[in-house]
Amino acid sequence: MGVSTLSEWTGRIGELVIGATAKDGGTRSHSVTIGGEEDLPYIGIPPSGHRPLVAYELSDDPELWPAAATRFIGDRVHDTAEWVAHADREYQPDLIRLYLSSTRERNFSDISRIGETVESVLQATELPLIIEGSNDPAIDSAVFQKIGEAAEGERILLGTAEAGHYRSVAAAAMAYGHSVIAQSPIDINLAKQLNILLRETGLSPDRIAIDPYTGALGYGFEYSYSVMERIRYSALKGDSDLAMPMISSAIDSLVVKEVREADEGDACPTAVAWEIYAMLPATIAGASIVCVRHPLSIEPLKTAIAALWNGEPKGGM
Amino acid sequence: MPTVTFLPSFRKTEVPKGSTILEAAQKAGFHMNVVCGGQGKCGKCSVMVRSGEIDFDREKYGDFYTDEEASQGFCLSCQTRINGDLRVLIPEGSLVQEQQILVDSPGVPLEINPAVWKYALTLSPPTLDDQSPDLTRLLWGIEKSGGPKEGSIYAPLEVIREIPKVLRESGWRITATVALVPGGYRMINVEKGDTTSHSYGAAVDLGTTTVVVYIRSLIDGSIVGTGSNYNRQISCGEDILSRVNYAKRGGLEKLQALAVESINAALTAASNSAGIDRDDVYEVVVAGNTIMTHILMGIDPAYMIEEPYVPVVRRYLTTAARRVGLVVGKNSGLFIFPAVSDFIGGDIIADILASGMAESNDISLLIDIGTNFEVVLGNRDWMFACAGAAGPALEGGEVLFGMRANPGAIEQVSLDLRTLKPSFRTIRNQRPRGLCGSGLIDLLAELLRSCIIDRTGRINTAIAHERIRQGRQVPEFVVAWKEETAIGKDIVITENDIKALIMSKASILAACQTLMNQAGIGREEIARIYFSGAFGNYINKDHAITIGLIPEIPVERVTTIGNGAIAGANIALLNRRKKRVIDEIARKIAYIELNADPTFMDEYTGSCFLPHTDLSLFPGVEKMLDQCRILREQS
Repeated sequence: MGVSTLSEWTGRIGELVIGATAKDGGTRSHSVTIGGEEDLPYIGIPPSGHRPLVAYELSDDPELWPAAATRFIGDRVHDTAEWVAHADREYQPDLIRLYLSSTRERNFSDISRIGETVESVLQATELPLIIEGSNDPAIDSAVFQKIGEAAEGERILLGTAEAGHYRSVAAAAMAYGHSVIAQSPIDINLAKQLNILLRETGLSPDRIAIDPYTGALGYGFEYSYSVMERIRYSALKGDSDLAMPMISSAIDSLVVKEVREADEGDACPTAVAWEIYAMLPATIAGASIVCVRHPLSIEPLKTAIAALWNGEPKGGM
Repeated sequence: MPTVTFLPSFRKTEVPKGSTILEAAQKAGFHMNVVCGGQGKCGKCSVMVRSGEIDFDREKYGDFYTDEEASQGFCLSCQTRINGDLRVLIPEGSLVQEQQILVDSPGVPLEINPAVWKYALTLSPPTLDDQSPDLTRLLWGIEKSGGPKEGSIYAPLEVIREIPKVLRESGWRITATVALVPGGYRMINVEKGDTTSHSYGAAVDLGTTTVVVYIRSLIDGSIVGTGSNYNRQISCGEDILSRVNYAKRGGLEKLQALAVESINAALTAASNSAGIDRDDVYEVVVAGNTIMTHILMGIDPAYMIEEPYVPVVRRYLTTAARRVGLVVGKNSGLFIFPAVSDFIGGDIIADILASGMAESNDISLLIDIGTNFEVVLGNRDWMFACAGAAGPALEGGEVLFGMRANPGAIEQVSLDLRTLKPSFRTIRNQRPRGLCGSGLIDLLAELLRSCIIDRTGRINTAIAHERIRQGRQVPEFVVAWKEETAIGKDIVITENDIKALIMSKASILAACQTLMNQAGIGREEIARIYFSGAFGNYINKDHAITIGLIPEIPVERVTTIGNGAIAGANIALLNRRKKRVIDEIARKIAYIELNADPTFMDEYTGSCFLPHTDLSLFPGVEKMLDQCRILREQS
């Protein structure tokens, strides 16, 4: 039995490809495509567009990473490449999202190390990559150039462009064939404005993923949810400046008071729950990529998304 | 008393020694520009003393003039005391620009239907055979010469007391003045002889900073005299809020007296320039913002600045002008424009009347811009209005090199799209001192066109150009090098200035959009946009559309109506039928409280973009910007 909606949308979300295989000049085992929706998420059998993906987030500077995430991984966190390889092997996320947090250190200047880290991560996994650079006008240009160059040909998703800070990210993406995450602070107008600004730098709309900024559960998530919904409605109604796939990451999930105070050992079910209960609804609001930092969040999220996607109710029937 | 001769007109006046040149000029009937209320702060009232003895503290006010100007005799007329006979030249820029005050409504033919009539009568004296009383005789006379029926005219006691003497001393040749007031016909004056040619009315704009008076002939509608004055309440606080607070502290009576004094002074100037007797002014029509008119009538405005913001009166008010203290004809009437809310006052109703939008089938948008703005959307059948704060940026406030529209202010700027070199014009062609509102709007539009800033107003520091540089805190663009300026500093616009301007323009556009959304009106359905207020006179309309200050409509349909308050007051004075229109306007307007409108914030964020986040609202601007971008990429 097919499910049909009463709405007749006129818009379609653009498709964005992440990762390039040898055939396309990269070294990934496969590429992934997000977007393509012509209706609201999970509507229809099969639903329109591509199934939402789960990205695992990690950092090149574990000092700046939530303890709930690093504790579980153990000593491997000190070797970024090993951390990536381990996560890929053990938890099978759809994507790896690498934060080059070391660039946020005061007076950071070791640009060449950025290139080495990116190269080692590319060696450690064949999954498509999302890479986050710096947020400091003094080094942005050099950092993004370096990331772009080191990952040339790999069609990574490069973050993060913001309204006050987008030219160097866009320039690196255009120069080396990558895509860009466009983040705006929980506001549909600001999301659209940034997309227009990026377009005017010459970046093609099919190279943009919208990050509407996601608050953690209980800490503003419902605002993000509602903005994602509004962005999606506008896009489906035909606003091409918002017709890009969305990426959502409730980055504060593992540092909220409830998680910090839960003394449950490394598995930390509270941390996992806090991530899953924000990221699953984020896909219902329209996110194409949801991100987690606790490895144990990956599998249940993937299962839940698959169940919603396939429209096969399980249990209780 | 010293005689002051004003050039180039050679108009003369006598004032006591120690008076200021400003006082003398006002007495002589000049509309001096006094934005600051004569406090020596704005520099707008500058004059050139050609000969004679004066007292002026050149050191204290040295900032206003270059050495060259000082040697030419430039001084602030409000701060210069007269010590003897003087010859003074008033530069054009120091006069309120009269031609910019559009007095009659565009597109609506002027009709002369005043509410005052004069009847010159020759009555037959009473005899033993005809013992009808004086008043009856007079009223019959009026009826016989085509006036209202004898029984329909009310004669107040003060007039009746005059009748026996005037009739007999004049040999029964008199002129009776009858006015139509809300209660019906009222005899307001009886005088000797035939004075029918002397029938005047006064239209008054009671502004927070200035008072403008027009005296019009009620016979042919001609303008016989004009006068203006600063609102003397300024001594009790510069802005409207501080006036209300002053009233709250027991100062209402003083504020009321100062309002009356200001109007009286402007009336004196106007009647002097007209050469008429103020007793021949038979009606006064006043338009002002809600707080000003409340204060003029002595009504406590205290509750208007507190939630839930309600005025005391919304309907129009009429009373005898002398009852509030205005020095005009003894029984002359006073008509005060009605208000809609605390924030949409009689001045806005007057704007609407002057624009003619309330009598048109077409939908118009009217925008009055100052530190606060008011927006009205509608036509003869319906109207929405809202008000808000735009912040001071558009008037040059909170902008690093922003200034009022004073001499030396850059008022027009254009940029060469290839070389990015600015060309500008300053007020009075002096060396630049800063940027005033119209210059800032030009600059914003030109920076956008030349791709120096992006749509959020950020300066693209990647452009290698000497004028684009990192300032002390944020990037900036150099408009004038210090060698070109009068202040010895580079005149720049910073990214923060640009953001302040964008926020100001966004609040106005968002208000327009909110009203349009409420009414379900798209920009294509707007037949006209009217700008009222001094600000609207000087801005480049194309640029106002480019930056998204107002919705995009064909620029030739954007009209400035100048001082709409005085224009509306004039119209109501000359045509009593318009008073009904005014009343209808006031009743018709639905006031939208922007703070209570959930879509306003969304519209505001959407408008904090050049010109707007929804680019489809500005198709012409988009086309133009696309071309500019191509041109920039080529060079």
